[in-house]
Amino acid sequence: MSSSNQEQQMKSDTIMEQMKLHLATEEGKKLTKKIGLVYQINVAPKKIGFNEVCYVVDLKKGEVKKGKYEDGKPDATFSFTDDDFVKVSTGKMNPQMAFMRGAMKIKGSISAAQKFTPDIFPKPSKL
Amino acid sequence: MAGRELVMGGGNCEPSSSTNPLGALANALIGSSSTKEKLQEIPTSTTRPSDGSYFAGEPLSVLPGSEFDHPQQLHSQGSAFLQGFHAGDQNGLSDAWNEIQRPQVPYGAGGISNFPMERTQLPPTVDGPPQRVLSSFLHSFINSSHGGIPFHPARLPMLGLSQGDKQCVRDRASIMARHFFADKNEDFINGQVNSLLSSLDIDNDVRAAGFMPGRSREMEEYWNESQALKPHNPADGWISEFSQHQNTYGGPDSWVQSFEREHGANGWASEFERGQNQLVAMNQMGGVNIPNLALMEQTRMLANTLAQNNDPKFQNSKFFQFMSKMSQGELTIEDDQIKQAVSVPGDWATEYQHQYNGGQAWADQFAHEEITRGPAGWANEFATEHAIGTSNDEWVNEFSKLHVNDDWAEEFGRQVAEGTLDDNTADNWASAYDDYLNEQVSLKQESAKSRGVYEFSEFNPYVGHPNPLKEGQELFRKGLLSEAVLALEAEVLKNPENAEGWRLLGITHAENDDDQQAIAAMMRAHEADSTNLEVLLSLGVSHTNELEQPTALKYLYGWLRHHPKYGTFAAQQEPESLYHADVAGLFNDAAKMSPDDADIHIVLGVLYNLSREYDRAIESFKRALELKPRDYSLWNKLGATQANSIQSADAISAYQKALDLKPNYVRAWANMGISYANQGMYEDSIRYYVRALAMNPKADNAWQYLRISLSCASRNDMVEACDSRNLDVLQKEFPL
Repeated sequence: MSSSNQEQQMKSDTIMEQMKLHLATEEGKKLTKKIGLVYQINVAPKKIGFNEVCYVVDLKKGEVKKGKYEDGKPDATFSFTDDDFVKVSTGKMNPQMAFMRGAMKIKGSISAAQKFTPDIFPKPSKL
Repeated sequence: MAGRELVMGGGNCEPSSSTNPLGALANALIGSSSTKEKLQEIPTSTTRPSDGSYFAGEPLSVLPGSEFDHPQQLHSQGSAFLQGFHAGDQNGLSDAWNEIQRPQVPYGAGGISNFPMERTQLPPTVDGPPQRVLSSFLHSFINSSHGGIPFHPARLPMLGLSQGDKQCVRDRASIMARHFFADKNEDFINGQVNSLLSSLDIDNDVRAAGFMPGRSREMEEYWNESQALKPHNPADGWISEFSQHQNTYGGPDSWVQSFEREHGANGWASEFERGQNQLVAMNQMGGVNIPNLALMEQTRMLANTLAQNNDPKFQNSKFFQFMSKMSQGELTIEDDQIKQAVSVPGDWATEYQHQYNGGQAWADQFAHEEITRGPAGWANEFATEHAIGTSNDEWVNEFSKLHVNDDWAEEFGRQVAEGTLDDNTADNWASAYDDYLNEQVSLKQESAKSRGVYEFSEFNPYVGHPNPLKEGQELFRKGLLSEAVLALEAEVLKNPENAEGWRLLGITHAENDDDQQAIAAMMRAHEADSTNLEVLLSLGVSHTNELEQPTALKYLYGWLRHHPKYGTFAAQQEPESLYHADVAGLFNDAAKMSPDDADIHIVLGVLYNLSREYDRAIESFKRALELKPRDYSLWNKLGATQANSIQSADAISAYQKALDLKPNYVRAWANMGISYANQGMYEDSIRYYVRALAMNPKADNAWQYLRISLSCASRNDMVEACDSRNLDVLQKEFPL
C-alpha cells in the first residue's frame, strides 16, 4: 500500500492526497480559477533541504503531482519540514510566522507566494 | 525585547516613506523593482519631485537621528552583546569622518578594541548633495549583486537620514538583498545588508520588519499591491500578527519572552545577529579576536538557553551568571584561562576562579568538561581554517560553517544527558534545554502540551470530591464533556494509577476535539494498563488524526496482539518494523474468522484511513455500523472518512446521525464545520465551529479553522473576536 515504505511516511502525503481530491470538486475548481498559479512544495522529513519530497500543486490545471515541476518554472517554490507543512496547511501556523521562524523558505514570485494561504488546502477531519 | 523592536521598527517605516524626500528616494531606489535596469541607465537617477523643497527642513550639518543619538533599546543579554558591536562598528565609521565629535567609547567586549576598516573599495561618488551620494551608493550596492561579490562598507559623508529613513532603507535593503542574492545563503545576504547599513550608519539592532524574499521582478507589484490593499502600510499587518500572538500568550511579558525563545537559536533574528557578527569580523579580518567573538556568540546562545530556565535557584547560580558574563564579553577565555575583560568592574571573575579551584560545584564540572575542551578547541579549529581562507566568499562560508551554534549546543546537551553533570541543577538544565529544542520545532502554544505531557486545569472544583470517577462517568454520559474532564482529572489526581480514569479522560478529550490531551491521557492509561484494548484503539485513532502513521500502526497492531481471540494472528514478539499491508492482512484474516465482530471492522476502518484507502475504510465502518447502529463515535468516524475522501455531502449526513445520538459531541460539530468549509460554505462552517467552541473553548483546532473561515467569508470584522476568543460576540453574530 502507499504507506508501507517507512521513508514515504510523510504527513504531508495525506494533505496532498486530499488536496488532489479536493481540486476535482466544485470548490476546488473555483480555487483553481481564482489562483491560477503553480506551486512546487518541497517537504523534508526532518530538515529543510535534506531528503526532500517534491509536490507540484498546479492551480492552473487543478492537479497535484509528486515530483518536480517539469513544464517550466513554478510560480513559487516553498520548502518545509513535514511537520511545518502540516502546521501551515492546517492553519496552526500562518505562513508569515513560518517564514520568520525559518520554517518556510520561499523561491520565486512574491505575489504568487502571497496567495499561498492555509485556506487553499482542505482540512483533515477527525475520526 | 527583540519582538518589541521588530514591531516598532515596522511601524516606523511609513511616515518617513511618505514624508521625507530622502526616504522616498531610498524607497524609489531600493524598493521598486524595475530599478535594477532603470538604475543602470540613469546612474544618478532621482525621483525628485519638482518643487525643489528638499532640504528645507533639514540642515545638512545637524542631522536628526544621526548616529549619535541612536537609541539602544537592547536589554537582553544577547543584545547587550551586540550593542558592543554597534558601538565598535560605529567607532570605525565615525572615525573616518568625524573624529572630533565623538568621544571614544571605552570598549570592553572581549578585547575587540579596534576595527580596522577595509578601505580598498570606495563607492563611486562620495561627495555632492546627500541625495546623489545616497543614490550612487545604493547603486553600488545593487551592482554588487551582479558578481555576487561581498559588498564592502564604505566611508560616506553624513547624509542626514532620519530614523525613519534609516528604518526604510534597512527594511527595503533587507528585502531587496534577498532578491538580488537569491542564490546565496542567508549569511552572505545578511553580510551584504549589514555592510550597506553600516556605511549609512544605520543601526541594525532593530530587526527589519516583515520582509519576504522573492524575485525583484515581482517586488514592485507586491509592494504596490500590499499598499493598495491594506489601509495601513504592510508592516501593520505584521504588527497585528504579533498582537494576536500577544493575545494568545496572555500578556506582553510572556509574549516577549516567547518571541525571544522562538527566535533563540535558529530563528531569523539570530541569523540577523549572526550577520552582524560577520560584519564586525569582516572589518577585522586577520585579527586575533575572532575566536573570542565566536566564543562569545556561542556562550550567548547558551546563556539565552539557560535564561529560559525559570528556576530562581538556577537563575542565581554562579554558572548562569558566568555564562551571561561570558556572552556579554565581560569575561574571555585565553589559553584555557578565564580572564576578565579589561574594562569590566566587579570581582566576579575572582569569585569564579575561586570556585574553579573549589571542588564539586556543578559550574566547576562544567568548566572542566566544556570550557577546557569545547570552545578552546573550537577556537583553535577556527583559527586553523581561518588561516587557510583567502577570498572573501570563502571566508564568509567558513565563518558561517563554523558559526553553527547548534552543534556545540548539542554536544553540550549530549554530555548533560550522559550524566557528566550529576546534581539537580544539571537536570534542570537538561530539561530547560529540551524545552528549548522543542520550541525550535513546534509552536510555543503547543510545546507545553506536546508529546504526552498531560496538562491539568488550574481550578478544579472536583478535587476533594468523594467519588470523582463516578461523577465523571455520570457527566460524560450526560454529555457535559468539559465538566467530565474536570471530574476525571480529580480522579486521576487522586488515583494516578487508575487506568479507567485516564482512559475515560482520554475518550472525553477526544470527543471534545482535543487530540493532544487525549493522547496524553491515553498514554497514562496505557502505562497503567498496557493491554487495554480500548486504550490501544483510542491511541491508534488519535495518532491517525494527527497523521502519525507509524505510531498509529504500532498501537493498532498492539490491539490485535493483546486481543484474547485474535492475539494468535500476531507474532509473539512485536516485529521491529511494521508494514501497513501486513497488519491490514492480519486484520482481514481476523475479520474472516469473526465477520460479526464490529470491533474488527472498526480497526480495519482506521487502518484504511491510515493508508488513505478511503473506499475500503468507508466500507468497514458501514459494516461496523450495521452491527452497532447506535455508536455515535462510529458515525463520526464514517463521516470523517467520507470528508477526508472529499465526499462532503455524505459526511454531513453521517455527522448529523452522530449528533442526533449525542448532541454535545464537540468533535462532530467541529467536523461539520470542516465539511462545510471544504465545500466553500464558509458562513455555515463558521456557525458550526462557533457551536463547537461554545461547548469546548479549549478546542484549538476549531479556533484555527474558524479564523480561516472568517477570512474566507470576508468577515474580517469578526477576526478580532476570534483572536481574543470572545465567544459571546461570536455566538451572537453566528447563531446556529
